Amino acid sequence: MELLPQILINALITGSLYALIAVGFSLTYGVLKILNFSHCHLMMAGAYLFYLFFVELEFGIFSSALCTIAASVFLASIVFFLFIRPFEGRSILLPLVSTLGCATILESLVAIFFGVNVKSLSGDWISESIEIGSIFVTPLQLLIISTAIIISVVLAIILQFTPFGRQVRAVAERATAAESVGITPVRVRFTVFSAAVLLTILGGILVGFESNLTPTMGQSFILKAVAASVLGGLGNVWGTLAGSFILGFIENIAVGIDIGGFSLPASYKDSFAFFVILFVLLLRPNGIFSMRRRSV
Amino acid sequence: MFSVSDISVQIGDSSILNGISCEVLPGECVGVIGPNGSGKTTFFNAISGFVVHQRGTITLAGRDISALPPYSRAQHGIGRVFQNFGIFRDMTVLENLIIALEGRASLRKTLLPWSSANRAIREEAKAFAAQVKLDAKISSKAGTLSGGQMRLLEIVRTLAFGAEVLLLDEPTAGVSPKMKDEVANLIRYVQSQGKTVLIIEHDINFVQSFSSRVLVLDQGQVLLFDTPENVTRDPRLHEIYFGKSF
Amino acid sequence: MEYGIHLCILVCIYLILAQSFNITLGLGRLLNLAHVAGYAIGAYVTAIGTTTGDMGLFTAIIASSFTSGLLSLLLGGIALRLSDDYFAIGTLAFSSIVSALLINCKGVTNGVLGISGIPRPKIADFELLNNSSFLFLVFAITFVCLAIIYILFSGPFGRALRAQGENRSALLALGRDIRLMNTTAFFISSSFAGLAGSLYAYYINYVDPSSFSFSEMTLLLTIVIVGSPGSFWGCIGSTIFLVCIPEPLRFLDIPSYLVGPMRQLLQSVILVLVVWLNRNRLFSLTREV
Repeated sequence: MELLPQILINALITGSLYALIAVGFSLTYGVLKILNFSHCHLMMAGAYLFYLFFVELEFGIFSSALCTIAASVFLASIVFFLFIRPFEGRSILLPLVSTLGCATILESLVAIFFGVNVKSLSGDWISESIEIGSIFVTPLQLLIISTAIIISVVLAIILQFTPFGRQVRAVAERATAAESVGITPVRVRFTVFSAAVLLTILGGILVGFESNLTPTMGQSFILKAVAASVLGGLGNVWGTLAGSFILGFIENIAVGIDIGGFSLPASYKDSFAFFVILFVLLLRPNGIFSMRRRSV
Repeated sequence: MFSVSDISVQIGDSSILNGISCEVLPGECVGVIGPNGSGKTTFFNAISGFVVHQRGTITLAGRDISALPPYSRAQHGIGRVFQNFGIFRDMTVLENLIIALEGRASLRKTLLPWSSANRAIREEAKAFAAQVKLDAKISSKAGTLSGGQMRLLEIVRTLAFGAEVLLLDEPTAGVSPKMKDEVANLIRYVQSQGKTVLIIEHDINFVQSFSSRVLVLDQGQVLLFDTPENVTRDPRLHEIYFGKSF
Repeated sequence: MEYGIHLCILVCIYLILAQSFNITLGLGRLLNLAHVAGYAIGAYVTAIGTTTGDMGLFTAIIASSFTSGLLSLLLGGIALRLSDDYFAIGTLAFSSIVSALLINCKGVTNGVLGISGIPRPKIADFELLNNSSFLFLVFAITFVCLAIIYILFSGPFGRALRAQGENRSALLALGRDIRLMNTTAFFISSSFAGLAGSLYAYYINYVDPSSFSFSEMTLLLTIVIVGSPGSFWGCIGSTIFLVCIPEPLRFLDIPSYLVGPMRQLLQSVILVLVVWLNRNRLFSLTREV
């Protein structure tokens, strides 16, 4: 149990990554009312774009970041206008299927252009371990945690206190009513979607630095994003943030602790997300923070 | 035939139905009227099971059906005709009727598409379609019918299903004036078959012609439950529609 | 000729897999993202049964189908009470759990290495080593499966499933127990998927977790949608079309590692195109009363 502080820090790091990735997914559901199954594939594609600029083309870090942002917004626009917008107001099966198709397209394109081998983003100074007390962290990991905190705070301020935030909440709640007071739902949705994509790509880049990039990472992370969102309540930004950290905590504790000499092999770490999802769906489909019981 | 006792329905914070009790005799036709928001459709939903009631009991032919899910209540004889047309628009008129008839048939006999039971069902479905003059349209998709035709189809489908109690929710909504007579005729036919009918309607005159009694709901409670003559004469009826000062 | 036989066997296996998916998605409008999990389970049951045990052909097929069906009951118990979005999530999670178990329970499944050396089936001591003789078996089984599925499609069960997708309340008002119906649809659909998995294991003689991935799911989705959801004959046509159309890629002068992703790309582009072109007619909005 002396490892506990280390486990907690790891949980914080994992949770922060999940938060960056999941909050966009949840927001997309809340405002656009769709489950964007290509959310983490967009993350993967954006991270690979950064890899292209930073590693292959060897732009500096800031130029790479700018190019990635530009390319990501472009990518988000394509996805929004081709894969999401045409299906508004129709059966929800359509955007589900369309985003699944989009995800596979992105995965194949990345595999074709970058190959299926694992790629890594790295920088020397950021990966050096620092010892603080009994725990080891790297500057990168501290960066991850602080990014998540800053983004959460900024999101809070925007959603609660700015006019745009009010528009977002209006459209999320009832788009037709919002329209009648002069808000353009499409513009709001597009902005939220792009922001969601940018956030998740940021998360993806950090994942690239922290571990690695593969074309299939979209498939693995979407379950985490879904788990965190479902845990906290789909569409509920605070819930999702909390859910992300709870998920990170569960994963790290479950494989970290030793109960009487028995511990779970690390390969099961990822499976917790799945069980969390099913568990929550069984008991509290609206998320553990909701008071309402969903009835069918 | 059936009775509801002290039915209350609460959705969220608002109380939609507040202690409704009434008894309907077998073969009776009861009109249900009341201003918008008085809970008429919720009342039907509570009887047919689409809304769960928090208090009270519903008894059908002596049997307490309060805890049964909607499909079970249907099997016990409650037929529901929905305000928004509960027909299957992408299926043909014939298929709509076949589904209703298949509900009563045994699965074993109808499993093979070419079985005699299936042929009998087809013939019966055609007969029902002919009854509402839809025989020319049996192969058309139900969504292509006019409002009046859809309504007729839905009512006759409930008959085909074998419902004993029919809950008709605004049967003349979306129906042209000419077709209203057809709907009225069909309702009279249903009555002649001995079925118990409840009709929600805004058109009081329409309802008066078949109902033996009229149930007036206001704000989730029973205001009046009497013959049409007594109800139309009662000043309280005018109050709830037009306000006291009128 | 050998290649032609190979394609035919593959088409037959996919016919069973796709038509069973057509039951839940096409007829019932239920997007069961764990359908491929049923396929995987069937394949692994046969693999394990024939390598560690000594299962005969029919035992293996029945065991595979039954196990898949049984697990679908578990999935259905959880997922069928959820509404559309959450249903998709629930099935996706279940699928991932199955995947994770296949990878992690190394003692049973041999993890990512997979199980190899699955023998070809034996009918009365005659081992179907030859692909053409195996084709006869697969063809016969496929024919029977499709006949059963056709009867389901055109009978009362298919009709009720279709109606449920259209107007749930109206069907309830006609006395149908929708939950039971969906559970049955799930069971039948998964059992057939398990059967297809069994045939797959017997044919390729090797199973590993990667053959049952996300992209298999997208392929099935594409097949059902391109063939028009709920259409029996459409699904047959689209299966043949979509299994065969990426095949010319093999003969192009491209590195072998690109063949997979290109096939995936082709299939998913077709999917999105068809969905986009048919967006007004596909899965018309279910009506609520």
